[in-house]
Amino acid sequence: MLSDQRSDLKGGDVNVTQSAIPSLGQHEVLMEASPYGIEKKKLGMWVFIVSDACTFGAFLFAYGYMRVGNPVWGTPFGVGSVVNGVVMTAVLLSSSFTMLAAVRASQTGAKPSTKKWLGITMLLGTIFAALHLKEWFSLIGEGWRLFYNPTGGAAQFGATFFSVTGLHLTHVVTGVIALAFIARGYNLGRYDESHVETAGLYWHFVDLVWMFVFPLMYLMNAH
Amino acid sequence: MSSNRELTMSSYVGIGVGLMVIVGIEVVLTYQHLEPRTLLFSLLSLACLEAFVAVLYLMHVKYERPILFWTIFPATLFVLTFLCYLWPDAFRMASMRLLK
Amino acid sequence: MPATSAHAAVHHGPPQGFIRKYVFSVDHKVIGIQYTTLSVVAAFIGMALSWAFRIHLGWPDAHIPLLGMLSKNGAPGGLMTPEYYLSLVTMHGTIMAFFVLTAAPMAGYGNYMLPIQVGAADMAFPRLNMASFWVTFVGFLLACATFFIPDGPPLSGWTAYAPLSAVGEVAGPGQGWGQNLWGLSIAIFCVASLLGALNFIVTTLDLRTKGMTMSRLPISTWAWFINAWVSLLAFAVLLPTCLLLVLDRLGGTSFFIPGGLVINDQMQPHSGGSPLLFQHLFWFFGHPEVYIIILPAFGIVSHIIPTFIRKPLVGGWKVITWAMVAIGTLSFIVWGHHMFVSGMSPYMAMVFSVPTLFITIPSVIATMVWLFSLYRANIRFDTPMLFSLGFISLFITGGIGGFFLAQPSTDSYLHATTFVVGHFHFTMGLSAIFGAFAGFYYWFPKMFGRMMNEKLGKVHFWLSFPLVYCVFMTMHLTGFAGAVRRYSALVDDFMAPLIPTNRFISVAALLLGATQFIFLFNAIWSRFRGPEAPNNPWGGTTLEWDTTSPPPFDNFGGRQITVYHGPMEYDGEASVMQTAPPAAVAGT
Repeated sequence: MLSDQRSDLKGGDVNVTQSAIPSLGQHEVLMEASPYGIEKKKLGMWVFIVSDACTFGAFLFAYGYMRVGNPVWGTPFGVGSVVNGVVMTAVLLSSSFTMLAAVRASQTGAKPSTKKWLGITMLLGTIFAALHLKEWFSLIGEGWRLFYNPTGGAAQFGATFFSVTGLHLTHVVTGVIALAFIARGYNLGRYDESHVETAGLYWHFVDLVWMFVFPLMYLMNAH
Repeated sequence: MSSNRELTMSSYVGIGVGLMVIVGIEVVLTYQHLEPRTLLFSLLSLACLEAFVAVLYLMHVKYERPILFWTIFPATLFVLTFLCYLWPDAFRMASMRLLK
Repeated sequence: MPATSAHAAVHHGPPQGFIRKYVFSVDHKVIGIQYTTLSVVAAFIGMALSWAFRIHLGWPDAHIPLLGMLSKNGAPGGLMTPEYYLSLVTMHGTIMAFFVLTAAPMAGYGNYMLPIQVGAADMAFPRLNMASFWVTFVGFLLACATFFIPDGPPLSGWTAYAPLSAVGEVAGPGQGWGQNLWGLSIAIFCVASLLGALNFIVTTLDLRTKGMTMSRLPISTWAWFINAWVSLLAFAVLLPTCLLLVLDRLGGTSFFIPGGLVINDQMQPHSGGSPLLFQHLFWFFGHPEVYIIILPAFGIVSHIIPTFIRKPLVGGWKVITWAMVAIGTLSFIVWGHHMFVSGMSPYMAMVFSVPTLFITIPSVIATMVWLFSLYRANIRFDTPMLFSLGFISLFITGGIGGFFLAQPSTDSYLHATTFVVGHFHFTMGLSAIFGAFAGFYYWFPKMFGRMMNEKLGKVHFWLSFPLVYCVFMTMHLTGFAGAVRRYSALVDDFMAPLIPTNRFISVAALLLGATQFIFLFNAIWSRFRGPEAPNNPWGGTTLEWDTTSPPPFDNFGGRQITVYHGPMEYDGEASVMQTAPPAAVAGT
């Protein structure tokens, strides 16, 4: 509905809120162009990503501090865990590309294609979460807790591992749920390609965080 | 950095393969019996490279106006850089703790 | 950046019904008033807490009946226990720092004025804005709830240092559910602040009206914009800090709790954690936080002064704005000056001390801008201007104390004395409050369509200003003498002579508190009975003065707003509105 009104975002025009919903007092006003040349919700998502990156960063710094300060740390991850981690990485990375496909499809207005790619992205995200939880439960089965390290090393291992990966997992699950809402909204015509693209930004960010979590939490603790 | 020429889907697949190759390098390095410090710096550098590629291509920043890059990156890097001020105390903790 | 044919549509009509209009409103003006009201209520609660502990400090044997009713354990028969003293001090700091000082000048006035000042109909994300307020409100309720649980509020200070805050109930009354509720309240406040900062940033960048280039933004808008970035980055780090603290408390982890800790003869089942890590993470947020508190006041005062001297600020918009950018940036690299005596690496002390001294440079530049602007100016001493002048005085005084604290050598002695308490009340507490008062008196006519009583305003100022000095300057002196902060009684030999001084401070503090009721009465009475306010009672130039008092729901009644001038242009005694077409400026 709105793709024919999507203007060239680099020219300085900003197609902001030509809302299809009639309301009292709707009118057009002239504005300064955004210096970023992108929709405000996309800019908003970027600003959110900055803050979330700092939050994850602080968590990882706390992990690093604990790791450095507690020399007897333990490196419990065997080849199985590392392989699982690589598979999870591949799954999440693929989901980033299916998300990209979804965004491109939405930009041409192809609704069925967009839905398909969004659905595949959600599926891959769910597979990632399932693999992650499977690994968690196997660790818990071996005796790992937030406060207990069965290998006799620092208890902070469990604390940092579960809290960092837990925060990431929360972001993945939230992302899958959000994609469901975006897909539904796009299907009903309430959301347009800019919503899909904004959700895509969030999804890529989640993948980006994993690019740091995997080497720092898994590979550094592999034996 | 702003460019109108978007990549084709096959180029993106190529980028994906490249990223998995980097992951593979990370895994190989893990089993090379490196000093922890060396391994850490190598892994972090590779991760930063992956992140750079992801931000520029997946998140499209290469095709946006430069000011977006120069707003997002410096702000985030600024915080992450100065959080490094806490490392001296982490190392002191390792060497000065009572319970070994 | 030239104006282009960018378009925006106002896509929500005027709200209908009481709930949509005044409760769950997406209108930034209503949300701004909601935040301001929350802050005023919080301020009186925070003040009441301070009256309680000031009475105790002045008259240690005093029985305070209301306190006895509030907490049977904390103040049996109205006599405050040392633990409850700490609880009161903790909640005073928490409520004041977060729900008053971070909320009102930024979220209160900023929400109301920023969209209008950039010429927009609302914030970029109105529903997110509404959510931010109600999340803040929930956080506030949780903080207040700590008073009504059996064990009472936490006693670890607003800074909640580990391991005291992390070990749980064994550490003392209030350290069970009190601290949990505190942690939850602050974590929630973080989320609300992050979302609010996001809104401010996107609104300022994307919703400026035609002709409102970044160089023509009012200084208050610049201040809120810069502050939003500082908030975004700082609160992003406080959130994990709170979460890690909660994990230590409820999850059995030991991020912040070291081994071998014996509390009340019980060995704590923790090891490997670092209390220093908590301090680093907390103060990484905590120092930018004090600038988050003061920057809006910088903006408000910089906005008000030109109006009442009919001259632009010296250096135009650039000098003061770059000073604020420098302050905001440097604020992230000085946090260790709160930790000089914590056991942190002494080399890091140097690394933190030098930028702390450096950050005075942009602060002094800003102060010089204000003072040089005032030199030989024809000043109209209306109440907003009086509070702005008071702000400058308080900020300078507080800043001078900072020099002593910025250096590890002198700070070793002054840390944790009332010198620090005096210092931060001047720089952070009262400066920001005076800035907030200046904004309140200045913008009240716009927000409510009525004028406040000028005489009462002047009485409020002239009583508050000297009393502030009586209370907090004296604290610098008692601090020099060695009075330790957060002590509920001065029992040591060297501190006993300070008891009469403490009594003096307490009397002044109670009088200062009483004075604020003049303000409260003025605000409430004027809201309903004040004389009607014109569109532009003060002769301001910025966009908020170009619309009705109060503005219509979409701020400008559907008019196209085009900006031709900067925010500080004057033609003799006349103000040049930002929207005045170029031909209207005589003589150029």
